[in-house]
Amino acid sequence: MNHELIWRNELRKLGGPALPERDLWPAIHARIAATPRRGRRWPALAAAAAAVLVVGGAGWLGWRARTPPATDAAPPAPLAWAQPELPALAAAAQDLDAASVQLQQALERRPDAVFLVGLLNRTNAQRMRLLRQEAKAR
Amino acid sequence: MDGAALSIDPPLAQPEAADAVPALVRRAAAGDVAAFEQLYRQHVGRLYGTILRLVGRDRARAEELTQEAFVRAWQKLASFRHESAFSTWLHRLGVNTALMDLRARRDDETTDDAALATAAGGAVPFCAGERADLERAVAALPPRARAVLVLHDVEGFKHEEIAAELGMAVGSSKAQLHRARGLLRRALGGAA
Repeated sequence: MNHELIWRNELRKLGGPALPERDLWPAIHARIAATPRRGRRWPALAAAAAAVLVVGGAGWLGWRARTPPATDAAPPAPLAWAQPELPALAAAAQDLDAASVQLQQALERRPDAVFLVGLLNRTNAQRMRLLRQEAKAR
Repeated sequence: MDGAALSIDPPLAQPEAADAVPALVRRAAAGDVAAFEQLYRQHVGRLYGTILRLVGRDRARAEELTQEAFVRAWQKLASFRHESAFSTWLHRLGVNTALMDLRARRDDETTDDAALATAAGGAVPFCAGERADLERAVAALPPRARAVLVLHDVEGFKHEEIAAELGMAVGSSKAQLHRARGLLRRALGGAA
């Protein structure tokens, strides 16, 4: 066998597992318990949902102050979105669903309000994104 | 730096059934810390072994980086898409963690032309010797040369992958490997 082959074989043998001298898990456990996960978009989505609520809510309240309330309109049912199982996602989904219901109520009272349609579309798009995020996480 | 020989152990945990690891990964990604601990127990040996070689057998540093790698894995687990095996993903993440540390230290940035010229001679043939001699010689290499040699000759990375991980040109990776092998031959030849 030539030297190059011996060389490569010996180096390959250096690979393999080794044990740390101490158990690293307690320190890792402490760190992951204290550190929020990165790379998730829930906070951004929750912030976006909050923004939709604030803008949509403000527009709706302003319109309601000028319009007499409807007396016989049943509250609209939320769209039948699948509910995420991940806790952080589920919370964001609840915010978005609540925003969606409020926007639909506002639209029933004022069907000509284009800005409400835009807000509802954005809310639904964010809700769809939540479901995609959950699918990716699985 | 630890001068003792590496303690190479048999696999640290019994391999799980093929469908058990994805299930554990999914549970851990959903926030199940106990599942993540099982993943840690299964994979710490391989990851620590690789990092230990990359950092020249500095055990304290290897432990610190292994810990960091698992914390990063926990944080990034939600973005793991199961396109590769979890072990491959984790191993890459661990290597990347160790190389980030190497890049941050930057204590071996410039290629030593004299060392390269000497290494290029290749006059000293490889002498197998003792495994411990080889481990010590690899550990004593300059950090970047050692990283390239470990990744290429021990871990089986391609030059393109090493270049991407280390932020260098493919040609530089090849030059560092040439340099590392030459220095290793000299060290082992001198010791023999």
